[in-house]
Amino acid sequence: MDWLEQELKNSLARVDPPAGFSGRVLDRVGRRQPSPCRAHSRWLAAAAAVIVITGGAAAWREHQGQVAKEQVMLAFRIAAVKVNHIQAHIQESAR
Amino acid sequence: MTALRPLAVVAAAVLLSAPLSAQQLKFNLDYLAAKASDSVDLSLNGATLQFAARFLSSKDADESKVKKMIASLEGIYIRTFEFKNPGAWTPADLEGVRRQLRGSEWSRIVGVKSGEEGENAEIYVRSQDKKIDGVAILVSSPKELTIVNIVGPVDLDSLASLGGHLGIPKVDIPKHK
Repeated sequence: MDWLEQELKNSLARVDPPAGFSGRVLDRVGRRQPSPCRAHSRWLAAAAAVIVITGGAAAWREHQGQVAKEQVMLAFRIAAVKVNHIQAHIQESAR
Repeated sequence: MTALRPLAVVAAAVLLSAPLSAQQLKFNLDYLAAKASDSVDLSLNGATLQFAARFLSSKDADESKVKKMIASLEGIYIRTFEFKNPGAWTPADLEGVRRQLRGSEWSRIVGVKSGEEGENAEIYVRSQDKKIDGVAILVSSPKELTIVNIVGPVDLDSLASLGGHLGIPKVDIPKHK
């Protein structure tokens, strides 16, 4: 079995990469451009986020406006009812 | 730097209190809400009124009237309570409000007392430089309490003219000669 062990040792022995190997790998990684498809999908996601945020803010503003409007109408209804009620009393007592 | 800190605190307090200062009558009657069967608490400052005005239609007759009226107002503050049984509130609850209305800037223009129903209704106006810049309406009966403070130049005739609108029955008032 000595020959087999020897063969395995030789085959699995640590071999250092040639000089400049890591530099070339990093250089290639740096030069790789994102595919046009990926760039597009990024823009689409950003646009969708802007639309969702803008639309959400507009809907929230509309809701707040409707609430404020209802409150104002209720306030005037209460105030006008009371003034009319007082006027009715004055009218009655004037008779 | 530390010497400026108290000044910054005072400045912040003034800035924070500015939006609250529009209310001419202070009424803290929150404790009555627990006894009430129905209550309304509305605090609408000038900014809220102007914001709401953008959503009031000029084509709708009622909304158009209200839109015109709020254009110059600085706030509307209303507290109403309705009680199932009489005696849930006492005149002492209103004393704080009445004390403020005794001030020289306020004058009572209408006071109505109904003996049968035990109802008391008053309208006060606040004037500065001979111009009305606020109205207070106090209506109380054994089962109801309403305080209204409208801040700004209020036209009571316009307010009364809402009778027949907003679901309010019209009351015809004979004109004084």
